[in-house]
Amino acid sequence: MNKEDLIQKWLDHNLSPTELEAFKQLEDYPSLIKLDQELTGFKADTTNEDEALEQVWQSINTIKKKPKRLLATLTKIAAMLVVCFGIYFYTTTLDTTSNTIASQQKSVILPDASQVQLNAMSTMTFNTSSWDDNRHLTLNGEAFFKVAKGKKFAVKTTMGTVTVLGTQFNVKQRNNFFEVICYEGKVGVTSEEKNTTLLPGDSFLIIDGKYIATEKENTQHPSWLDHKSTFKSIPYSKVIAEFERQYNVSIEYNTINTSQHFTGSFIHNDIEIALKSITLPLQLKYSKTDNIISLKRE
Amino acid sequence: MSKPLKDHICEERLFSSIFRKYSKDLHDFLYYKFGNHLNPQDKMQEAFVKLWENCAKIPQTKAKSFLFTTANNLMLNEYAHQKVVLKHRKIIPKNSTNINPEFLLQEKEYKHKLEKAIAGLTEAQRVAFLMNRVEGKRFKEIAQLLDISTKAVEKRIYGALKKLRKDIDEL
Repeated sequence: MNKEDLIQKWLDHNLSPTELEAFKQLEDYPSLIKLDQELTGFKADTTNEDEALEQVWQSINTIKKKPKRLLATLTKIAAMLVVCFGIYFYTTTLDTTSNTIASQQKSVILPDASQVQLNAMSTMTFNTSSWDDNRHLTLNGEAFFKVAKGKKFAVKTTMGTVTVLGTQFNVKQRNNFFEVICYEGKVGVTSEEKNTTLLPGDSFLIIDGKYIATEKENTQHPSWLDHKSTFKSIPYSKVIAEFERQYNVSIEYNTINTSQHFTGSFIHNDIEIALKSITLPLQLKYSKTDNIISLKRE
Repeated sequence: MSKPLKDHICEERLFSSIFRKYSKDLHDFLYYKFGNHLNPQDKMQEAFVKLWENCAKIPQTKAKSFLFTTANNLMLNEYAHQKVVLKHRKIIPKNSTNINPEFLLQEKEYKHKLEKAIAGLTEAQRVAFLMNRVEGKRFKEIAQLLDISTKAVEKRIYGALKKLRKDIDEL
């Protein structure tokens, strides 16, 4: 075995005992051993393996937490956005409702600047967001409309639908009572009983399912806008109901005939005068305790 | 450790065992290759953290290569191709009774020469040679760690030895 092979085997820590002896006989042996000994001085630091592993786990855990926190914040932001958008869409698509209590009037401006005056104890519902495309509202009670020119404008009530293009009209829908009066322009009325078109001054009246022909109206706007309710041949029960709404009282009238017709008016700001207005023509007496009024024959 | 059920290393016990198996070799490799000033200990740990981050993607058999490649790249990111000078730790010889000043001077000189000679080796030679001589690893083990053939390791180590001896004699 030559010198080179022996050194190779020595390098590979692979000398057999006889080869080791041969290796020791080499002239290079002392210098090689010296070199080998000195080389150990270059040994890399030995560190505590467990400590190092512990450090690795620590940095792994701190790194792991970061994306978690980031994810959590992102989730929070996302949730907030969802809630915000939810509220936004909910409120914009939500119908707007206006209502009045007894003896109250309210003026409402619709998104297209149409004006609505709500009489006492009435409810009106419309949708602001879709108003431009679809001008329709739901009415329960009585209201006077001044409609801005534009697309079809529809007022839906439980007793019929009123459609117009741009006009002024009054809609009154109470229990089994449906009245539409046109003050300007043209008004279309659709109800179960009758479909018709009203011209200025025309009115449309349905009481207890019967269409009632009425005279031409010559006022410019309904009298209730001037705080006065006017009736022309209207069943007395409807008059009493209107009175109750305007003064927030309840009226007992067991003994009197409420089907007789009444023509006249009462004002909204003085209950004594108003009571006289609706009782004297029919020769009735009234007595008043708190908010309860009893009507009797004379 | 018994044969792992999972093929990837996202399991703490398996990961720890890989750490115990390779952390020293990886550290030594980095030290012999790049010296001490780039902090091989930190780079070694960083490579293991990276291994954990990618544990789902790396099969156990590829873990070693991943660690060595990653650590090497981490080093190279900072490494400005300075000459690597490994410092000789002055070891007091065991048989220090018959020390005379001349011998001490000789020793000092020899160590100095050795430092210079080692710095003169190529990176590949230095890593293989010191792993072999200082860490006592056999050619085959080094070949496995570095993903090269045993023959190449043999060549590098023998080449390194020859160059060292020549340099020391000349210096």
